[in-house]
Amino acid sequence: MKNLIQVKKLTHIYSDNNYGIKDITFSVQSGEFIILAGKNGSGKTTLLRHLNGLLSATSGEILISNNPIEKNIVEIKKKIGMVFQDADSQIVGETVFDEVAFGPENLKWERKLINKKVESTLKLLGLTQLADRNPATLSGGEKRKLAIAGVLVMEPDVILFDEPFSNLDYPAASNLLSLITKLNKNGITIIIATHDIEKVIAKATRMIIMDDGHIKQDGVPDQLIKITEQYGIREPCSSKLNLGIINWAN
Amino acid sequence: MTPFIYKQGSSILHNLDTRYKFVIMCLISMGILKALFPALAIISIVLIAAMLSVGIKPLNSFNHIKYFLILLIFIFISRALTTPGEPLFSVFEVPVSNSGIKDGALVSIRFLIIMLLGMIFSHTTKPSSIKSAAEWFLKPIPFIPEKRASLMIGLSIRFLPLIIEQAKQVSDAQKARCSDNQKNPVRKIARLILPILKKTFQTADNLALAMESRCFSEDRTDPEFNKSGYEIISLILTILLVLILILF
Repeated sequence: MKNLIQVKKLTHIYSDNNYGIKDITFSVQSGEFIILAGKNGSGKTTLLRHLNGLLSATSGEILISNNPIEKNIVEIKKKIGMVFQDADSQIVGETVFDEVAFGPENLKWERKLINKKVESTLKLLGLTQLADRNPATLSGGEKRKLAIAGVLVMEPDVILFDEPFSNLDYPAASNLLSLITKLNKNGITIIIATHDIEKVIAKATRMIIMDDGHIKQDGVPDQLIKITEQYGIREPCSSKLNLGIINWAN
Repeated sequence: MTPFIYKQGSSILHNLDTRYKFVIMCLISMGILKALFPALAIISIVLIAAMLSVGIKPLNSFNHIKYFLILLIFIFISRALTTPGEPLFSVFEVPVSNSGIKDGALVSIRFLIIMLLGMIFSHTTKPSSIKSAAEWFLKPIPFIPEKRASLMIGLSIRFLPLIIEQAKQVSDAQKARCSDNQKNPVRKIARLILPILKKTFQTADNLALAMESRCFSEDRTDPEFNKSGYEIISLILTILLVLILILF
């Protein structure tokens, strides 16, 4: 596995002089499935936005495939996709098809190529029959899938998820986790920021715990699961009952 | 479901290139503004046939424009009362002339037909195609960034229902805390508008970030237009129809 992302002493201070993240250093290897765990306000979303090139660092640097993130920001955004917490405010298109085509249109791909890629992405995610639907009429789970399709069509190496399971019922969360696992098996590196680790921990290969803008722990989920509550993250129920880690995926 | 919302279909009108549909709609609208009663009867028959062919039930559609019909009644009454001519009878000592009634009816029917025309257009045209056609028409006009304008049209179509939904949520949340007891309408509106504006700006902020994360650029792939093969014949028939509207 090669180093895909290297974050070196990254610090972000907001305009009101509050720290978003402080002195963050870690690296991500290709094919990893990482949980970025932390309570609200711990700096998870700020870190994700840095990895996607949406924020500029106050100090420190991020290297993507050994190149500074600022070097080719469009290429970085294509390579590292981000699925936001609120799918409703992420969806731009008036139909499911248009929504998925939005990214490739920004990259000025040929129309034939766009149509081909959009169709294959919709097929992969089981959204083909919804292609002409207005996104506003989709269910929560379908909207989340559509948000993923909008990123996936640009063929990213990494997908960042910000609280992907919020507001989803059990079947939708379970389907979504299966899809994310499938994407990871297809070679896409996954980073999920969440405070609710129970749904995803069975599939993760690594867990980074953040608190107060710092990385406090970084390791294998099995080894960290018992100490999560020190950082305001609820330990999964099955672990508390010594039943091991339960898989939420289908 | 309101007939003003696009509904998937396979009729000729559904498949017609949106740019032609725009031109056809503009030509017919201009013809209607010049048309008299016999011509209006002809265009009404054509429009009712078009409504049936695209799956709109004409009688049912009136239910969706009932408030507009009230407006038309006001227009009719005001025209009837204010157009000079030989008095036919008087209402509260205001004379109503024969030409006033004719003029009021003519204007109201013209507006009604244009409204039905718009209904057929929006029922058979995808919002994304409307956006693309607007971009195409704006392209030759200097100093107008057509891609930005079309994106703004698209975002308005996409986010208006979301803002209305958010407004309803805020209103319900306030009603749940007895906001109905507040009788002052200005205070009531102020209390409603501030949280709605806050939510709308937050949504706009999130949207801008999401667009940026997907490499948003104004230099984008041009829109695609699908042709059905009926465009030229439809345009010729429309010109003939408009000539009939103007001449009769």
